[in-house]
Amino acid sequence: MADYNAIKGRLVQTLSSDPTLTSSYEGQVWYNSTEGVLKGLVLLEAWSSSSPLGTARYSLGAAGTQSAGLAFGGALPPSPGFATQNLTEEYNGSGWSTGGTLGSARYYIGGCGSQTAGLAFGGNIPGRRNETEEYNGTSWSEQNNLSTARRSMGSSGTQTAGLASGGDIDSGGVTPVNNTEEYDGTSWTTGGALNTARSGVMMGPAGTQTAAIIAGGYTGSVTAAVEHYDGSSWTNATSLPGTRANGGFAGLQTAGLVFGAISPARTTSALKYDGTTWTSAPSLATSVGGNVGTGTQSAALNFGGSTSSTVSTSNTEEFSQSINVTTAGAFSSGGNLNSARWGTGSAGTQTAGIVFGGRNPAISTDLALSEEYNGTSWSEGPDMGQARRVVGRGTGTQTAALAHGGHYSSPSTRYKVSEEYDGSSWTNGGTSTNFHDGTMQIGTQTAAASCGGYDGSPMNETEEYDGTSFSTANVMTYSAYMGAAAGPQTAAVVFAGGFPGVNNSNEYDGTNWTAGNTTLSPNYGIGGNGGTGSQTAALGAGGYTPGPIYFSKVETYDGTTFATAPSLATARSELPASGPNSSFFAAGGLISTGTASNSTEEFTGETVVATASTLTTS
Amino acid sequence: MALFIYGTATNTGKGFFTAEDRRAFFLRGYPANVWVIGNNEKGALWLAEKNGVEKTKSEAQALVTAEIDAAKTAWDNNNVEGESAEEKIARLGEKPSDVTLP
Repeated sequence: MADYNAIKGRLVQTLSSDPTLTSSYEGQVWYNSTEGVLKGLVLLEAWSSSSPLGTARYSLGAAGTQSAGLAFGGALPPSPGFATQNLTEEYNGSGWSTGGTLGSARYYIGGCGSQTAGLAFGGNIPGRRNETEEYNGTSWSEQNNLSTARRSMGSSGTQTAGLASGGDIDSGGVTPVNNTEEYDGTSWTTGGALNTARSGVMMGPAGTQTAAIIAGGYTGSVTAAVEHYDGSSWTNATSLPGTRANGGFAGLQTAGLVFGAISPARTTSALKYDGTTWTSAPSLATSVGGNVGTGTQSAALNFGGSTSSTVSTSNTEEFSQSINVTTAGAFSSGGNLNSARWGTGSAGTQTAGIVFGGRNPAISTDLALSEEYNGTSWSEGPDMGQARRVVGRGTGTQTAALAHGGHYSSPSTRYKVSEEYDGSSWTNGGTSTNFHDGTMQIGTQTAAASCGGYDGSPMNETEEYDGTSFSTANVMTYSAYMGAAAGPQTAAVVFAGGFPGVNNSNEYDGTNWTAGNTTLSPNYGIGGNGGTGSQTAALGAGGYTPGPIYFSKVETYDGTTFATAPSLATARSELPASGPNSSFFAAGGLISTGTASNSTEEFTGETVVATASTLTTS
Repeated sequence: MALFIYGTATNTGKGFFTAEDRRAFFLRGYPANVWVIGNNEKGALWLAEKNGVEKTKSEAQALVTAEIDAAKTAWDNNNVEGESAEEKIARLGEKPSDVTLP
């Protein structure tokens, strides 16, 4: 057996418990005397799931890095409803947000560069294309065309030093080519020809114009051949251990990673490359082909593709080499409400929540009853003074909540009077000037605001509440109700709402409203954090768009941009929700017209933790 | 291999599905207690542990369709004399639409 002292010149420390792990412990080994095992802090390699693309698609373009990625173009599934896409999405390391649209919708499109200096070229509309477009972080602009119109080519480099190689051309069939073209930021010129003409190749956008790698693809059949480029010519290199095509690639000629592919079946397999040798790497969670990748060998990003000939995917996975174990955020089931309901008010957190009012369609009744949540189960609390539905959501805590707005259906009555809950009983609070059905509430019971609502039509009126009375404040820049809201009275965000659903957002500083970025899609009946959330860390869950279509999707807001987040298990709208992102819950809501849910979902955010590994002799 | 397992299971509340489950396999709930589950070992085990009943895709679709059809009928039959179509939608919401399982 190896002698650590002889190798390292020092003995292994004996500790009764693992030390507090930081990066300074990387590579260190100790004996945990309590557990009786040798442990160390070593680099771990793994794929972890991340938030999905906003639009599932395959054969899309890729650029950027794992923390600043770019997805563009691609196509929806062949059957039913094949459609090429001009959509661009930007990845911030945790979720996707909408970018500028391509001038020309294409799939099997080439791409390289960065999120703020991207390059897209070639592709299929159908019909092979030669258009080139540059991205500046906001919009695409058309540039000089490729000499050879083609699709499914390899692509590497930057916006000012790009490389397009191989692909296939219009010929009445699929005819692979061996052309290489180099881009200098203005125009394309001819580079060295591939030894093996091929399309559907794997060639990461992170490679350079003078040190690129092309792997696999179709030559008429699937190939394992690999070639290296030195800026002028291609030379054959070590072949892949098996044939594969149309997969993702991240990294460089001397430190690459291939993942997914059609070989010919879709696969989870991944392989690492050091410039000479291919070795197995941890597998993706989901078999995929037509996927793309970007980033480096140690920090790669996989996204999109198809999981069968008819199903595109929005899956996103991150590959990391790190001493840290990253655990993706996810919703889990919580205790069931005693009364299924929608249009319900809410306050508090995942371990101390409250819902009140709403409508139970099974008994065609608007409710006054409240329920309190302890993180495990809901128990019935005291009734509000007035049964009401579409009541404002999200102000206060389980022991200091505010119910405002809403209406009762028969006889139809809207309410301006608020009710306050102190943890044991409801009492009447102040009365607003306007009706605020479905108002978006922020703040606390003594420093709240009811933002927008419905009084016969969507409204933009804001009224602030000080625990005693309402006062009129400045109006929002858009009119809506049943949107999401997050934050205190002096730093809040309101987004979406309707009806039928808008994608606006507004930020409030306690005095003025300013328009913010748009949400990923129009949405009505979305559940937000309420006053326990923040303007720079907000969630919007579920919602609705005419069809009717109920959403399970979730969006995050970081103070600037909306991005995708892990989805609810059950699509629902007009759901009560509350809590900061770290303690967010959603309960009830409509799952179809006339059918309410009683289920609760709780959000657990992403965690990144340095983790000791148990060392063995095998 | 099929992408999904289809089944029915009653959501019993806390612990019915965990964040770890959501990371390990696809899971989506539909009307009529129908669940669409990613077809891997952990997904199959989850349905068994929840005393779920595995269905074929067409059986699961039929359950969802029956639930939606019942909601459509209830919507059709819920009328107020003199009410316009717009007023009915404002009162009840849109007429339920078909749900197609993936």
